[in-house]
Amino acid sequence: MIELKNIEKYYSSKGIKHYVLRHVTTSIKQGEFVSIMGPSGAGKSTLLNILGMLEEPTYGTYEFLGEDVTTLNERKRIELYRNHIGFVFQAYHLIDEMTVYENIEAPLLYKKVGSAERASRIADLLDRFNIVAKKDLFPNQLSGGQQQLVGIARALAAQPSIILADEPTGNLQSAQAEEIMQLFQKLNKEDGITIIQVTHAEKNATYGSRILHIADGVVKDDVSVKPIQAV
Amino acid sequence: MFKLNFKIALRNLWKNKGFSLINIGGLAIGLACCLMLMLYVNYEWSYDKQYKNLDNIYSAKLKLKINGELTTTDAVPYKLAGAMLQEVPGIKDAARISQNNIKLFSYNENKFKLTSIYVDKSFIKILSYNFIYGNAASALDEPGSIILTASTAKKLFGTQNPIGQRIKWDNLKALKVSAVIEDLPKNQSIQFEVLQPWSFFEQINPDIPNMSWGSIDCSTIFELKDNVSPDDINARIKKFLVTKKPEVKPYVYEPFLFPMSKIHLYNEFKNGVVVGGNIDQVKLFAFLGLCVLLIACINYMNLSTARSEKRAREVGVRKALGSARSALMGQFILESVLLSIFAMLIAFVLLEISLPYFNNLLDIKIQIDYHSYLFWSILIGLAVITGLLAGSYPAFYLSSFIPVKVLKGFKGSSGSLSIRCLLVVLQFSLSICMIISAIVVYRQIQYLKDKPLGFEQNNMVQLDLEGELGKPSKLELFKNQLLKDGAVVSASEFAQKFTNGGSITGDISWPGKPAGNNAIISCRAVGFNFTNTVGAKIIAGRDFSKNFPADTSSSVLLNETAVKLMNFKNPVGTIISWGDNQNLKIVGVIKDYFNEQLGKAVEPTVFYYNIKDCGVLMLRLNPDQSLNKSIETIKNIGQQINPAYPAQISFVAEGMAEKLRTEKLLSVLSNIFGGFAIFISCLGLLGLALYMAEQRSKEISIRKVLGANLSDILVLLNRDFMKLVMISNVIAIPVAYIIVTQWLQKYDYKTAITLWPFILAVLASVFIAVLTVSLQTFKVAKANAVDALKYE
Repeated sequence: MIELKNIEKYYSSKGIKHYVLRHVTTSIKQGEFVSIMGPSGAGKSTLLNILGMLEEPTYGTYEFLGEDVTTLNERKRIELYRNHIGFVFQAYHLIDEMTVYENIEAPLLYKKVGSAERASRIADLLDRFNIVAKKDLFPNQLSGGQQQLVGIARALAAQPSIILADEPTGNLQSAQAEEIMQLFQKLNKEDGITIIQVTHAEKNATYGSRILHIADGVVKDDVSVKPIQAV
Repeated sequence: MFKLNFKIALRNLWKNKGFSLINIGGLAIGLACCLMLMLYVNYEWSYDKQYKNLDNIYSAKLKLKINGELTTTDAVPYKLAGAMLQEVPGIKDAARISQNNIKLFSYNENKFKLTSIYVDKSFIKILSYNFIYGNAASALDEPGSIILTASTAKKLFGTQNPIGQRIKWDNLKALKVSAVIEDLPKNQSIQFEVLQPWSFFEQINPDIPNMSWGSIDCSTIFELKDNVSPDDINARIKKFLVTKKPEVKPYVYEPFLFPMSKIHLYNEFKNGVVVGGNIDQVKLFAFLGLCVLLIACINYMNLSTARSEKRAREVGVRKALGSARSALMGQFILESVLLSIFAMLIAFVLLEISLPYFNNLLDIKIQIDYHSYLFWSILIGLAVITGLLAGSYPAFYLSSFIPVKVLKGFKGSSGSLSIRCLLVVLQFSLSICMIISAIVVYRQIQYLKDKPLGFEQNNMVQLDLEGELGKPSKLELFKNQLLKDGAVVSASEFAQKFTNGGSITGDISWPGKPAGNNAIISCRAVGFNFTNTVGAKIIAGRDFSKNFPADTSSSVLLNETAVKLMNFKNPVGTIISWGDNQNLKIVGVIKDYFNEQLGKAVEPTVFYYNIKDCGVLMLRLNPDQSLNKSIETIKNIGQQINPAYPAQISFVAEGMAEKLRTEKLLSVLSNIFGGFAIFISCLGLLGLALYMAEQRSKEISIRKVLGANLSDILVLLNRDFMKLVMISNVIAIPVAYIIVTQWLQKYDYKTAITLWPFILAVLASVFIAVLTVSLQTFKVAKANAVDALKYE
């Protein structure tokens, strides 16, 4: 599903190149649950941003679903966002002016999904995440864990084939974090959604099926793990 | 999608109430000004447009050389209308219109002084008036018939049908009402309350048919046949008067037709060519209104982009969710359009509230036509256009954010900051220009007010000589009675209302007058005691006096300017001639006084004694007696001597104040608009301060942690704004200087342009800016440092 070949990213300043990523070559198949780990400043987030097409690599090729997306025009990229990619952010990034319901609805509107279909999908998601009672509340009326649930529901609304999550539990307490990770695992198992997350926590990584260890911009280690079972 | 965006836009407005209030308030004021301007422009534009065949109607004008200057006047010879109708092909109809006459019209006990004009029968054929009663075809056939406007008819007759009723004219003649027309719209050039036939005019002035081609006395309108070009006619009539009377050749005497549709807006001529007129005021007003609207729009842009951080994250998320840039732009535009529609609602209320005041100020009558689709569509159109205009830049700017940057915690780019600074500089420059102009206009008004008039305007009244007072013996009795009762200390007759203009002549010759000098000199009839009564000074010789019998026939007084014109060393005793009157002796020289045009040089004037030529009585009230008592006495005595005419006493000082009307108007307008501009600009500055403070909140916090105190931070934040304000001053001052010098050029007497209006403007702008900025920065400077640092 994702093929990265020799991805490099550097910033030049005064003629000196500061490498963020070097020679990253990897492939991620449909249905994998990959955790990217590494110390601060290792380039984890940059890699995720490149995967999410939010940033362009300086060098190398990136194929997404067999298509070269290294340089993609805005319209095509938006198409991919609408149909294939869901983002989950550390700081949730819900739109403050929208209710829970509207936040989940937003990607469907961009995707131009019919209103009946929209209503049923949102109802389904609300039900699944147990937030039906909160649908008319605004983000600032929810706890962090609840906001992240909404964030994930929003990412799922457009029925993407891949979810990119940047420290999804970074701002959460451990009980809530566990809940979110279990949810990810379930989505991965039951719905076959590919998940790529950036995380600091060893424990979170164990929910996935594969871990990429990055340090100083280089992939140091690529290990498969046997995921712990969801309770 | 639209519905959701709409809902979110509303929530956004509601959530940031303070911000929305500032924005809506600013836009509402801008829109109200703009609407006012459009109504006013429309009003001025529709002047005289009520006439049906306006395109074919022309007013005759006459180029005339007076004292070496080519002037243009509406007055043409009485004979012109008839002669041109006969001799010039292409003219369908012509009508003469006399000057306004204010006469007493009475019906039983209802006595009113009404403005009437004498017109040819064709007048009501050329100009389409709406007749309520009577027959348009024959309404002016009889000399004794008169046409009233509806409100005049109501004043005189109440609710009864006025047709056929008899009205007494000037307490002398009985006239019969032949028709009633609808009231004239106020935006029509030819205004009257009563229309009377030309034949009646000739009855009371039998000389009219014999007046020469050289005398210019009435205005004339022409209706051309279809498809006749006025240029052809103008080419044909260029020499019309000179051919009829070759003697007038030195005075040029060139008639031409000027479109009736333009006479209101283009009423200023120089060298026989139209150079402007009311259109200038319309343009000025349009400019001011647009400026205020522009400033308001800039404001909106500034404040919207200032809040960009708050919105940036939203933009990033939406983009990551798959929103196209156009959709985001749509959303921001929608928000600004919504806001401008709210602003329009408020503007509409403001407009309705201020309209009466505005009408009063400009002496016009603008009404909002609620049934006009055009009005509503303009209203909505304006709101939408303003919304688009104001929202375009923020939409463009906000939607350009790159998601990954804003999601990482982005703080606006500095590029947009410089644009915003530019906008604020623009706003402030406009405002400073307005402040300076307002101060200079005010100074000029004060200057004209304080400038010695050369006569004593206070405690002086005038009343018309009419009815019994037209008889010399009764007039004498009246004056003596007033003096005896102590109401007045001095009285003298004068040619016409003291503050009005008057007759001019080119017929005066004096020893040493160069050949070919066509000097035009004003001539004023006066009675005895004139200088005493008005408080003018005699600087040589003496005033007219009863003690010198020759004064009633062969003595004249000159004013200083006339002496200068005639180049006399010792004017007193010199003999000059005036037409047939060869032997006029100058007995005195009056110091120049300014009663006709403030700020303009005095015309050369000859004064002669002739009570018959006098239309008003000037009275110097007794200063030792209360004003009310004196007025009461004058009215009572007037009632005894001249019972048919209720004495109408007017104060000269009021007439003089009226002369500053245009200046006062300009002053009020520049104050109002300048005030609004400043106010809105401050809102803009506030927005910028908001933005900068937010931008630098981290810097401020760090500085505080490092030990900066409140004043250090205030100085730090204010310094940048002071730079902007100073730049605005540097731009505005030369521009304002040019504008005010231009404006002052039309005055012969003007205030010197000193430094202090400029200094005042600089100080005011700095003071206001510091105040505005500090309001915002104080809050930031006081804020807890941890709050800003925590979220990094």
